[in-house]
Amino acid sequence: MRRGEMGRRDFMRTMGWLGVSGASAAAAAGLAACAPARPKASRDTLRFVCAVQQMTDPALTTWIEASNLFRNSLEFLTEVDADNITRPFLAQSWRPSEDLKTWDFILRPDVRWSNGDPFTAEDVAFNIRRWIAPGSKSVNRTAFAALRDLEVTGPHAFRLHLDRAVCSLPEQLYAFTCPILHRDFETRGGDWPKNPVGTGPYRMTDFEVGRQASFQRRADYWGPAPALARIDYVDLGTDISTHVAALAAGQVDVLYRVSVAELDLVNRLPQARLIRQQAAQTVVMRMQHDARPFDDLRVRRAVQLAADNAQMLKLAYRGFGAVGENHHVAPFQPDYAPLPAQKRDVAQARHLLTEAGHADGLDLALTIGNTQGRFEQDTAQVLQQNLAEAGIRLHLKVLPASEYWSVWDKTPFGLTYWSHRPLGVMALDLAYRSGSAWNESHFSDPGFDRALDNAMARLDPKDRARDMAGLEKTLQDQAVMVQPYWAEKFTAVSPRVRGYRAHPSDYFRMDKVWLADA
Amino acid sequence: MRDLAIFLGRRLGGLALTMLAVSFLVFLTLEFNVEGVAVKVLGQFSTPDQRHAWLAENGYLDPFLLRYLRWLAGFVTGHWGTSTYYHEDIARLIAPRLGASAILAGAALLVMVPLSLILGVAAGAREGSLLDRSISLIAIVTTSIPEFASAVFLSAVFVIGLGWLPGVSTMAGGFNLRELVLPVSVLVLASTGYIARMTRSSMAEVMNQPYVRTARLKGASPARIILRHALRNALITPVTVIMLQIPWILSGVIVVEVFFAYRGFGTLLYQASLNADVYLVESCAMVSVLVVVVTQMLADLIYVRLDPRLAAATGRKP
Amino acid sequence: MTGLVLVGGWLVVALLAPLLAPFDPLVSLTPLAAPGAHAPDGRIFWLGTDLLGRDILSRVIYGARPVVGLSLLATGTAYLVGVASGLAAGYFRGWVDTVLSFAAGVVLSFPVLVLYIVVIVALGASYANVVLAVTFGSAPAIFRIVRAIALDVAGRDYVAASVAQGEPAHRILVQDILPNAAPPLLVDFCLRIGYSAITIGALGFLGLGLPPPTPDWGGMVSEGRAMALAFPHLVIFPCLAISSLVVGLSLLADGLNEGGRHA
Repeated sequence: MRRGEMGRRDFMRTMGWLGVSGASAAAAAGLAACAPARPKASRDTLRFVCAVQQMTDPALTTWIEASNLFRNSLEFLTEVDADNITRPFLAQSWRPSEDLKTWDFILRPDVRWSNGDPFTAEDVAFNIRRWIAPGSKSVNRTAFAALRDLEVTGPHAFRLHLDRAVCSLPEQLYAFTCPILHRDFETRGGDWPKNPVGTGPYRMTDFEVGRQASFQRRADYWGPAPALARIDYVDLGTDISTHVAALAAGQVDVLYRVSVAELDLVNRLPQARLIRQQAAQTVVMRMQHDARPFDDLRVRRAVQLAADNAQMLKLAYRGFGAVGENHHVAPFQPDYAPLPAQKRDVAQARHLLTEAGHADGLDLALTIGNTQGRFEQDTAQVLQQNLAEAGIRLHLKVLPASEYWSVWDKTPFGLTYWSHRPLGVMALDLAYRSGSAWNESHFSDPGFDRALDNAMARLDPKDRARDMAGLEKTLQDQAVMVQPYWAEKFTAVSPRVRGYRAHPSDYFRMDKVWLADA
Repeated sequence: MRDLAIFLGRRLGGLALTMLAVSFLVFLTLEFNVEGVAVKVLGQFSTPDQRHAWLAENGYLDPFLLRYLRWLAGFVTGHWGTSTYYHEDIARLIAPRLGASAILAGAALLVMVPLSLILGVAAGAREGSLLDRSISLIAIVTTSIPEFASAVFLSAVFVIGLGWLPGVSTMAGGFNLRELVLPVSVLVLASTGYIARMTRSSMAEVMNQPYVRTARLKGASPARIILRHALRNALITPVTVIMLQIPWILSGVIVVEVFFAYRGFGTLLYQASLNADVYLVESCAMVSVLVVVVTQMLADLIYVRLDPRLAAATGRKP
Repeated sequence: MTGLVLVGGWLVVALLAPLLAPFDPLVSLTPLAAPGAHAPDGRIFWLGTDLLGRDILSRVIYGARPVVGLSLLATGTAYLVGVASGLAAGYFRGWVDTVLSFAAGVVLSFPVLVLYIVVIVALGASYANVVLAVTFGSAPAIFRIVRAIALDVAGRDYVAASVAQGEPAHRILVQDILPNAAPPLLVDFCLRIGYSAITIGALGFLGLGLPPPTPDWGGMVSEGRAMALAFPHLVIFPCLAISSLVVGLSLLADGLNEGGRHA
């Protein structure tokens, strides 16, 4: 895209913010009608393989799987679709002030809860206030740390006051812990599965932890009726090859996720269709500045120079994705600023190590959790080979996933998976701001923080990209991490499934999915 | 009768003592370090003050022995705690899974026992024959193939290659016999050989006993010899061997259940270990040990009942 | 005889791995090459390569080392513990016997894999912990065998004679009792190495085994399982390897047993 030109995506994003619906924006952008015609409501049941985990309070969920279940019944203020476009959802439109510290939201007036109550700004107020309350155990408390308070300005309108400019507020409102619950949620017991009231198109009719959950279509939904009459979520455990076998045998229709290891199998099976989706999800091998030997910039630079990001993508992820540039901003994110390419240089790495006093090699240990799959340890094994060429002996410590989360922010050199975020600045704000709760690398630079504040105050991604260039360069120069690639997402579905798209954040919406006849 | 009662009483006492020791070891191993539990419950993005609050609320800051005794008291009275992953009462979580594993193991035994006994008797009756040597060889080979390897082979052939059998055994649509075939086959393959060989050697030994040779000399038919004279004594060892195989079957069940996603006790324990679901691992370990100890006691009782020499020692009539 | 050949073969392979393996098992070359395909430098991948492009033949050869080494080490340690405690219990009897027998009973009441899982959940996976877990699992059974033999032999006349002559206990244990235990123990040793190998493989399969990138037969099967349909060579060769080793050990044990009986 040439400078000054607003791409289709950016246009639609801006249109979305101004409250124009997705369809009109598409028409305005001169696009043909997007989705193929969907059949009218059918009587089909779709079986979706997904872990059915215990949940009581959606704001406290820690795993995305649970959110995919309640996303059929509960809705959000905004929606970020698979193309990274933020659309109106329960909020019809929103307008930020010039300094991005005050946001006015207008809600849809025609939404009804499944128990008959009308949906009002009081419901939203109840939710947002409990997210940020001092005693809140929810992760939203840190995610919305900049939110000071909420002001109800009308039956279907409210205003948010922030301590600092946050350009990504609409995107953050679609995080999986942010569904809008009924205002009486806590007085009625605070356990959603026991009283599954929601505004969404489905009603939960069955919920058995570790086994199955069922959703039935609701008659009085405010939006267009979904095609599927019923969705069953089936828990088949964590082994994906078992899920693929179930799909092959026709026992299920949609898998939650498929990893690189299963790609060939899925492609060989006629009963399974592979779906690919570009996503800004990545693995970050970050080095902590305050731990030896990473306190020496030369050591960190050496590790970065010896790493072969392209080879890690090719071997550990079979090449399905984009090469990372060690600064946690993806080329397909709208606020990405291109930088000169970094070349692998083993000789320079050796030179730096000698300078730093490690002439006869260095021993390092990397902690891995395989939280998303074996590709994490595969990536580390390729890095191991890369570093061996520079005289660094890398020792791999593999922990079970749940053990890893106990140490992810403590280990000096760890491999952490970061899930997709629609905007580049969001990850930077979460992970590299001084003192942020999720700053696992302990990176701290006041200049960086100030530049980050500036970036956060710019609404237009193209404007922001100029600030981003500086932020990206700082992260590269400080050799904070080896961030080898951006990984695609995959899943497999049966050939009968139509209208299903993988979502880069795994936030699946089923209301546009239908089953064709066999 | 009195002797039997004393015998039983001593065994039960030993059982209780063993369980006590096991409980202490298990608790010691798993609960010595509890920092990670809060993280598992609250998630990786929780803050230190949130975690500390949770730990205090749930009694984790008390001294070790107090926590052990509290847990033990709870365990004995049926309060096994709540799983940190499933957030459900553990006793209610384990019961159906244990039942499912019992069905799997039971089905495997149902096939394994007659098969291995028949093979063993046939081999032992004609020691050194071609039949004997073939059966022995097959037995050795099948026992040596690990469960995960045979599961891989069978699965590749019957599920994906021929498509005859389902790939997963989750019983999502209610009980389905076809979904049991592969898991049971793997278990049968793993243990049949060993039992068959024990039966064979026991049978061969009995066949060489003087009273059997006498019967043969007197002109009795082979079938009559086997059924009337040899079988009863030959079966003492295999029966106890089968009971003693139960710990091995329990281990094999874990691998098989994980492979075929069968919702049994094995997958529960495996998931618990992956999620470091401490209470669940403790409870599962205790239950496993209980099963083993009880079956071992039963094996002893049966052995005493069947072996005429020992029956005399305990005062029971043979 | 076949057993000896198989076991001996794997022992040789394990010892001479660096000489026998055509490639470095840790280096990535061409991913997912079929058996018989050519490497970039012209050599042949006789058994193909895995997902990360490492030669499978080399990984199977090097994989013999942790399996053979760990099984031997673990079984050896189990034997040390089991024999020592068994001799003590059988000879000294009294409270020594009661305490040791009780301890053995407690450990024996755990199904092997459950014991391993508990140990590894608590202590993490590493070479040392796998050896520890296997030792825990095997020592009690050995203890029982040795104890039974010691009890039996200790009652014999020549032992009584040695005691009367004032021979120290450890001399009696080693010279009089141990040689009687040797034949059945030898058979048990071979079988037990096989069982350790299977269990170590199962641990690798469940993902609770050795850290990467160690070539570990069970781990290789686990990694390649998802792709076994399209690339069967990923799982078949490690399975054949582990099966042949354990079959060899079983045949060897069987042969020793037969030999012992006819002697």
